[in-house]
Amino acid sequence: MYYLYLIQSPFGRPGFGIMETPKERNKQYCSHMGGIVNMRIYGGLRSHAKALERTIKTQYVDNIWTIDDWETEWLNDTVPMRQLEEYVESLIKERHFRLKLIVPEWNFTQDLPD
Amino acid sequence: MAYTLTYESVVKTPNPMVKINPLKRGSGKTVSLQDRVDTLNKSAAWKKTTKLWAAMNKEFDLTRLPKVSMEPLGVLDIDEDIQRALDEKHCANTIANPLVFDPALLQPVVCIKTSDGRYISIDTQHTVSTIAGLIDAGLMPGVTDWKTFEYPFTYIETDNLAYARRAFGILNGKGKKKQSAYQQLRNSVFIVRIDKDTTDEDDVNLEKKVSIAEKNNCFPVETDSDLGKYPGTFTNIATFKTLSNNEVEVACGWHNKYFHYENVHVSLFFIFRDLCRQFSSAKIKLTPTFQEELAALVQSCFGNLSQFQESVTEAHRRWTTKRYGYQAAWDDDAYACALIQLYQHFGGKETVAPTLLDHFDGLIEFFDQDILAMADNQNMLAMAD
Repeated sequence: MYYLYLIQSPFGRPGFGIMETPKERNKQYCSHMGGIVNMRIYGGLRSHAKALERTIKTQYVDNIWTIDDWETEWLNDTVPMRQLEEYVESLIKERHFRLKLIVPEWNFTQDLPD
Repeated sequence: MAYTLTYESVVKTPNPMVKINPLKRGSGKTVSLQDRVDTLNKSAAWKKTTKLWAAMNKEFDLTRLPKVSMEPLGVLDIDEDIQRALDEKHCANTIANPLVFDPALLQPVVCIKTSDGRYISIDTQHTVSTIAGLIDAGLMPGVTDWKTFEYPFTYIETDNLAYARRAFGILNGKGKKKQSAYQQLRNSVFIVRIDKDTTDEDDVNLEKKVSIAEKNNCFPVETDSDLGKYPGTFTNIATFKTLSNNEVEVACGWHNKYFHYENVHVSLFFIFRDLCRQFSSAKIKLTPTFQEELAALVQSCFGNLSQFQESVTEAHRRWTTKRYGYQAAWDDDAYACALIQLYQHFGGKETVAPTLLDHFDGLIEFFDQDILAMADNQNMLAMAD
């Protein structure tokens, strides 16, 4: 199982990424942000998670938050979190990505549903 | 085992590239130099550079500007340690080709002028050799001696041959912004579409190829272009040009039918070039069923060709490491071979070119297990049915 996650920074900025070990990745975010932060997690084929992540990057190419020339995996704070969630879910449905929503809000202190 | 993967259609939405494709027609506009200066003045890179000039107290030295004069060709020397050996065929077949030769396109001599009055060529030796040769052959009416024939020279005054050597490197590529593959393609397309000039066979053939791609909603764009976010765009012009018209038709037709919502990944061209050629040699048809089953495979296992490329590259790395003990260089032939191996692994029954199965034997065993397990799951489901 491989995962695509959506995450919102404490400043409201939507972010995204892919991961193999949710617990470790979530801990890293919590550590950087100085508090518990939830992720919205989709699981499925590794190749599909990566393909979906790449599609987000292409679609939001004009709205990727960059620090100097470094393209981060955060979007500009003008993009609402809900818009990103809806976009991901429409992609899964319309382009038949083999991914499904595992949990809408999760952090490392919880068990991850199958 | 039956082939159980099915392609699930994706709703087609209008592709903005159909309207904004820059190759459709030229912009038809010329801009003033002021426009370019304004562009530079807005550029962060330009601002940084001008600040650096100021910080270094560097100023534009007008005395270093190249000079231009008309000089007799006989005064020119060619330093063989700076310029390459003369390529006679380039002079004969390219520059002096009577079908295309046009004096208006000749470049001035680029040389240095030493303090003892010698002119030493650092560029354009083929041009001047051709001109002198044509005069020598009696092909310039009214001119009999090429040595006294006056021709435009542009020169820098220096005795420093190292400087000349460096200048030759810059004039021949190093330090000069080369025309990109896309710009060259655009020139060919516009020569045919805007100028309606069909005298050059290469331009005509390339424009035809681009037209076939466009008909199938596939559009060449410049590397790093803002247009790259739109479906159907591609940047690998070099590979595209290696395809025949039929191969472009099949490749772009497949993309437009099944993956119209994606950019064209370069592996598309390698895959369909190899499939078309190998199937054709074996006298096997690329049937619509086979093409749809390939689309189902790519969609189900990888999502798109971009992800297929990532997976096959990793599988190839593992395969060569296991087989040869080191990571061999990537081989573009592996795209089509891996796809055909996967097709048969998933139970594909259409006839395929056997040459594609002989190559990269066992490569698919090195794909991620979650991909290969899909075939086993499909098999179990089929048996349960």
